[in-house]
Amino acid sequence: MIIFYRRPSIAVESWQKLLRIMKLVILLLFTGIMQIHAAAYSQSTYNFNEQSISVKQMFKKIEKASKYTLFYRLDQVKLDEKIQVTVKDASIEEVMKQVLQNQVLGFQVMDGNIIVIKPLVEKNVADQTVTGVVTDASNLPLPGVTVKLKGSTIAVSTDLQGKYSISIPGASGILIFTFLGYTTQEIPVSGKTVINVKLVEESRSLNEVVVVGYATQKKKDLTGAVTVVNVADMNKTPSGSINEQLQGQAAGVTITGSGQPGQEPDIRIRGINTFGDNTPLYVIDGVPTTDVSTINPNDVENLQVLKDAGAASIYGSRASNGVIIITTKKGTGKVKIQYDAYYGTQVPKGGNVWNTLNPQQTADLKLEAEKNSGVTDFSDQQYGNGPTYVLPDYIEPAGAHNGDPSVNPSLYYINPNYTDPNDYNNFYRIVKANKTGTDWFHEIFKTAPIINNNISLSGGSDQGSYLFSANYYDQQGTLIDTYEKRYNIRSNSQYNVSKNFRVGENLSYTVTENPQVAINGPDAVIAHALREQPIIPVYDIMGNYAGGDGPGLGDAANPVAIQQRTKNDRYVGYRLFGNAFAELDIVKHFTLRTSFGGELGSSTYHSFQYPTYENAENSSVNQYNAGSTSNYDYTWTNTLTYHQTFGKHDVKVVVGTEANQNGGSDIGGSRQGYYSFDPNYVSLSTGYSGSASNYSDTYIKKSLFSYLGRVDYSYNDKYLISGLIRRDGSSVFVSQYGVFPAISAGWRISQENFMKNVSWLTDLKLRGGYGVMGNQTNPNSTNQYTQFSSSVGQSYYGIGGSNLVPGYYENFQGNPAARWEKDINSNIGIDATLFHDMLSVTIDYYRKDIRDLLFNPQLPGTNGNPGSPYVNIAAMNNRGIDASVTGNFKVNTDLKLNATLSLTTYNNKIIKVATDANYFDTDFGRRVGTNLVRNEVGNPVGEFFGYKVVGFWNSQAEIDAANAKAQKATGDPNAVYEQDIGLGRFKYADVNGDGQITDADRTFLGNPNPKFSTGFNLGVSYKHFDFSVFLYGVFGNKIWNNVKYWRDFYSSYQTAKSYTALNNSWTPQHMNAAAPIQELNSYFSTNAVANSYFVEDGSYLRAKNMVLGYTVSPDALKKIGVQKLKIYVSAANLFTITGYSGIDPELPGNSTTDFGVDEGTYPSSRTFLIGVNLSL
Amino acid sequence: MMSILNISNMKTSRYMIMLMTIGLVTLNYSCKKDYLVTPQVGTISPTLLQTKPGVDGLLVGAYSALRGVQADGTAFGGLDSWQSSPDNWVYGGVAGGDAHKGSNAGDQDPIASIAVFSPLASDPYFNTKWIADYEGITRCNNTIRAATKTPGYSATDLANILGQARFLRGHYYFDLKKMFNNVPWIDETTVDVLQPNTTDIWPKIEADFLYAYNNLPATQSDAGRANKWAAGAYLGKTYLYEKKYAEAKAVFDPVITQGQTSNGLAYALVAKFHDNFNADTKNNSESVFAIQALANVDPGGITQANDGDRLNYPYGASSPFDCCSFYQPTIDLVNHYRTDPATGLPYLDNFDSHAIKTDMGLLSSVSFTPDAGTIDPRLDWTVGRRGIPYLDWGLHPGNDWIRDQGFSGPYSPIKHVYTQAEQNTNGDQHSWGPGSAVNYCVIRFADVLLMAAETEAQLGNLQTAENYVNMVRNRAANPNGFVFQYLDNTNPTGGVSTTPAANYLVNPYPTGTFVGQGSAYALKAIYYERQLELAMEGHRFFDVVRWGIAGPALNAFLQYEGNITSDITGGHFTTGRNEYYPIPQAQIDLEVKSGKSVLKQNPGYN
Repeated sequence: MIIFYRRPSIAVESWQKLLRIMKLVILLLFTGIMQIHAAAYSQSTYNFNEQSISVKQMFKKIEKASKYTLFYRLDQVKLDEKIQVTVKDASIEEVMKQVLQNQVLGFQVMDGNIIVIKPLVEKNVADQTVTGVVTDASNLPLPGVTVKLKGSTIAVSTDLQGKYSISIPGASGILIFTFLGYTTQEIPVSGKTVINVKLVEESRSLNEVVVVGYATQKKKDLTGAVTVVNVADMNKTPSGSINEQLQGQAAGVTITGSGQPGQEPDIRIRGINTFGDNTPLYVIDGVPTTDVSTINPNDVENLQVLKDAGAASIYGSRASNGVIIITTKKGTGKVKIQYDAYYGTQVPKGGNVWNTLNPQQTADLKLEAEKNSGVTDFSDQQYGNGPTYVLPDYIEPAGAHNGDPSVNPSLYYINPNYTDPNDYNNFYRIVKANKTGTDWFHEIFKTAPIINNNISLSGGSDQGSYLFSANYYDQQGTLIDTYEKRYNIRSNSQYNVSKNFRVGENLSYTVTENPQVAINGPDAVIAHALREQPIIPVYDIMGNYAGGDGPGLGDAANPVAIQQRTKNDRYVGYRLFGNAFAELDIVKHFTLRTSFGGELGSSTYHSFQYPTYENAENSSVNQYNAGSTSNYDYTWTNTLTYHQTFGKHDVKVVVGTEANQNGGSDIGGSRQGYYSFDPNYVSLSTGYSGSASNYSDTYIKKSLFSYLGRVDYSYNDKYLISGLIRRDGSSVFVSQYGVFPAISAGWRISQENFMKNVSWLTDLKLRGGYGVMGNQTNPNSTNQYTQFSSSVGQSYYGIGGSNLVPGYYENFQGNPAARWEKDINSNIGIDATLFHDMLSVTIDYYRKDIRDLLFNPQLPGTNGNPGSPYVNIAAMNNRGIDASVTGNFKVNTDLKLNATLSLTTYNNKIIKVATDANYFDTDFGRRVGTNLVRNEVGNPVGEFFGYKVVGFWNSQAEIDAANAKAQKATGDPNAVYEQDIGLGRFKYADVNGDGQITDADRTFLGNPNPKFSTGFNLGVSYKHFDFSVFLYGVFGNKIWNNVKYWRDFYSSYQTAKSYTALNNSWTPQHMNAAAPIQELNSYFSTNAVANSYFVEDGSYLRAKNMVLGYTVSPDALKKIGVQKLKIYVSAANLFTITGYSGIDPELPGNSTTDFGVDEGTYPSSRTFLIGVNLSL
Repeated sequence: MMSILNISNMKTSRYMIMLMTIGLVTLNYSCKKDYLVTPQVGTISPTLLQTKPGVDGLLVGAYSALRGVQADGTAFGGLDSWQSSPDNWVYGGVAGGDAHKGSNAGDQDPIASIAVFSPLASDPYFNTKWIADYEGITRCNNTIRAATKTPGYSATDLANILGQARFLRGHYYFDLKKMFNNVPWIDETTVDVLQPNTTDIWPKIEADFLYAYNNLPATQSDAGRANKWAAGAYLGKTYLYEKKYAEAKAVFDPVITQGQTSNGLAYALVAKFHDNFNADTKNNSESVFAIQALANVDPGGITQANDGDRLNYPYGASSPFDCCSFYQPTIDLVNHYRTDPATGLPYLDNFDSHAIKTDMGLLSSVSFTPDAGTIDPRLDWTVGRRGIPYLDWGLHPGNDWIRDQGFSGPYSPIKHVYTQAEQNTNGDQHSWGPGSAVNYCVIRFADVLLMAAETEAQLGNLQTAENYVNMVRNRAANPNGFVFQYLDNTNPTGGVSTTPAANYLVNPYPTGTFVGQGSAYALKAIYYERQLELAMEGHRFFDVVRWGIAGPALNAFLQYEGNITSDITGGHFTTGRNEYYPIPQAQIDLEVKSGKSVLKQNPGYN
């Protein structure tokens, strides 16, 4: 930039004078020709006697004493040089000559009152004219390119044909070609008179503006680990959830979802950071939140993931799980209407998904198990008296056959809406056997539609901008009676009140109806479906539900009945989310911003529990439940931003404060004893008043107050350094404040001179960062208090024998000493852009050491049973690599290819769990009698734990030998190698080598954390067609397939069984089997304890989506006023390649310390869509 | 340019002043310390409870922990309620041979391991039981701490509160002691809860009961509170476990002669045996210390209604109960009730060779005639068996009410079960398993008499011992207390006839039998009587261990029963190990100090 000095008083001079100056400036800028003619048309004479004066001072004196204004370039005139000026009645020319005595400068007096000072150019050097054509890489002419002689003001522009002609003094010098969006080139003249130049387009991605914490940066200036997600790719996954769409699109982010509508997936940024909640912080238009379930993915303009301290520490105490920054769309330009919609159908997996035996095979298996268990007298209530078992015609009355008087329909009596147990006791059920077998999976999983409609209206001018959008999303679940219906409107607007004052708002309001089922639990509806025997039909002879009520039919409940009984239940959530802001440029370089935002949420629900009658275990209760919740979360942010460039220095500073608070309350109740179950009748008022139960809670308020600051400095676009600091005060802690600093630096090696001629390397940057992030998500504000409480179940007692009396108990042991959890993070990364944006690569290696990890380890039992407080006791670390490679290949104007591969790895290790214990077990409460998961120091979180199966006991001799060894080792003549040792049962590994299987022989059986996960987007466009495919893969993780517990062992209750149990279990003739011998009882040596039989590899590769689109030619559309029209078809989850034997290897919905356990998940289904994008 | 700035400055400064004012207000507001302070919400601070009503509430909480549950179906510690059921049906009943686990294979496998005496230290059941008792202890300690800090008590009032708290603490420790033997002692003075388990805590348990005995009044404001005599009975029981027979006699004597219940009834056996297991006759003269059960008082579940017994009801297509055929009495137990038709006395040694007829292997549709021999009438108030009225629920149908007969036998439990007539009042259907309002008696007077008999026999006073035993047998012999046939089998709630349901015969020992047969016989008869009288009340395992006969008694049982049902086949009691349960591995691993656990595992479990 050229800086001119002007007389300060110029502003008050006449308009004409200003005009003259402007003309002169233009002259100086664009001609660059400035010769000194010492023509004496001065009318005045001057007297000066200055012995030692600076040139600058002298100029001032001249301007004061004369009518002249002096013009010069600051970089050409040595203003501070001391000079002597002694003139008497001298002309202005004489004065000037003395002033400029020691400098190689000339001057020109123009228009009578302006003096221009210029370097003295040798007059005898002839001007030379250089001409040429400037084109782009594909040889198309580039008009408007600035061609400038380096070190001078001589500059011209290219014309429409890209031609230029420039006169320069002499044949040497360097010409600089600059054009916005293209890489600047410098070419030495070296006597040439024709210089043709090809300009290369500048990397767009490098100049992409990225929203980081409380500021924006160009991508090339980033020093922290930030993943910028391609929102267009993201939006291709048909889902209402941003998180679900994000799966596989961002290196460093691991996401595990399910097929259930509205179920937010588990999301982890760079592994597991805490034993509790690992949800990252989301910042939407500057407003922090942890819930993005209501955000319409169509509203997202851009999305960035801040992964390391260098990027995220500015969010201090909430940064440890990573930060996802989302900016919603804003209006620009003239009015635009955009309509996007798709309609699709979701198809559940076909076939016999659980490999269920048909009823006859089930009976055969029972017979085999009885034989294997030494039963000789075969008499079965359903299947007759042997020697083979025959399917009955009726399962209730048990074992009845057609024509039996007991199946006379006139005997039938069921009142499905019974209210009196005596009525229930008189039920007479008649249920036909379903001899072909009920396919319970497909009784509850059906093809279901998915619809998305989105319309937006936007525009903008220098007065401001606006965007309104409305969205209707309706996804019916493939599991009957599950769905998500979401209505969303958004208004984003900004008003430019004046040139330096702006106000605006971003608001969205969402109404969501989303009943969900528990998934992946042993008593969830899907688990019932896989347990319910196939001989049971869905309905009995009169169309009421059938179930396991008869003998030998198992204790599972009819899953169709479970779901259909929820039909009238309602769960509706309402959420207003957004912010309002004001921005003021207070003085040049300084901007003040205030933003107030957050959410107001509420929800209501009601549900009715019907009595059951069809199952082995029924409940006679009828109960109506209703309730509502309300919550708030606000954040008030005030920042001051300073941004200035001095020569090669660029400095940006942000300081600010932020206050955040959330809380809420809920209220609800229930009643029983309804006269009628009509959904229009039941309410909290119409049930039996004596059964009324109600509750209300105030949520524990959580507040944060923070000071924050960041400095981003770059030198010459080459050396980058960034410092962040945040001081957070939290209501969670007694010592409230913690400080979270981070520093990061980048070196753009490609800007160095020695790299300049490596032409294939567009950009190369080395980054490194170190800092501290915090976490306070898991404890709440009352963690510090020891608390006593009172509740019926816990502490009431009928002390007098008749009335219930309240009592008190210690329900929480406080820990006032808790302080911040710290995530000490280092990151080193490389960003490279190759072949002019054709290929870009980002690789990051990170290490996170989580210290003072807040964990609430189980208290020693001698403490009793109060809730255990969070204490800064545990530690863990994560290491890993995130990498992504993006390629853009333009084969020709018609055919373009782009591909992105992202890779995520994390390696988690527990360093400490408590002062005392070095492990804690999780995941009990399933039917296997021991915990499945042990979180132990030195191992990753969530690792499976139990006995390792090394084979079967194939002969009595083998058993005797093992027992003999055990007897020798223990000196006990009754000792056995393993409990319940027996032919065809599992042989466990003697891990500690003591000759016996004991508790101490349990060992780690597999890690549910993946070795790596990867996403691959491939896009091809040819003329009007485009095609894309997105593959997602997870590799190296183990799954605990607990479905096998129910189905591969005859002895695991009387559930539906698998082919494995019948056809691939141990028999003396089939020792090379998968499952052990089928017996009536469960044993330590079969399925009574956690063992490695259940552990499988969980790797998979899935085609998450494929899209084929056709864009109608814009020319054809212009006539009807349409700007763009695209039609597409897409398929989601088209195929999955996996060795996992369960229905879906993707298993969400578990806790941090207890995941990868399959109890019957809600699988993702194939989805086929047709969609349209229309712009007006 | 300066002037341009100046022009806009006027406007700008207006906005700036506005924004900065807002900013400053925020800063001021937010910087206030209050902003970052959240008070306790919905809970009470410890000091708030240092009032008389507060202390009484804490004491009620200490009683409330007797139930072992924290929420519906959930034991203290978060696992299943039956793991800490206060009647010890798993640890004292199933393990002692009173009952099978029940249900079917695979269901609650840890109980199966306990039944065959191969328990694992990592079995979560033990951990739950441990936590439940220490939660009770913690509540007692919190009561004592708050009471001693609360002003305004008279000496007797304070002693009453401390006495009840220490009585309850004694109870919880007694429970731990008989389960685990080696347990750490934590009281109101303990700061560090990581205490070793290597010191015998009998003296401390004694001290708690002795304090309670010396300080509690004879009657209390509420029937459910412990009084002086309950403390005396428990103190006597403690001495008995310690084999301090003289000390035991010194306290049993006044308990038997002067004792009364908290609601002022002189201790006496109730006329009808079943009144001990009837919700409508709870807190009667026999109820020395009972855990109070109330049905239908918790809309959230059956927490107050014997939650831990929710699995233990007949189960099957025609069963009126929802859950789940656990705790099925053993055939061996039933055989004990055979009486000699000539004398009305039991077969002390060869009861199994006078086995009572079972319906094993028979479907309910196949006809069956119950045993016609002489039977102790207590059997049919203890065990539900085919063809005999099961309370007023109708004749027990056999297999239809049993989940898996071949696995765990043909019988159903009965003592905690509510009647059909009272199913809506004393039955509780607020959860997936049934609840019942029948109190569980930790100590009832018959138990006191039999403990006293044992004490006297050990001291050589065989006649006194015989008198006590005969008091119990005479009550059993009361014909009014028999199970009677229904007037109409199709209408079981329509009343009963005067015809006994079976051939009942029970007689007292002829006077002088004990003296004549000697003390070994006397003890055997007393032990046998205890089994008959207190069967299915959770005492059996602890009794056989205390008597030192666990090995032979339980292995004989396993041998016999294991040949009939498939669930306990191959079980073996190892003397020197199985007398006590393993210290929960989870607790050993939690209680580590400088790399070493302060808890020592019990012998044989390492």
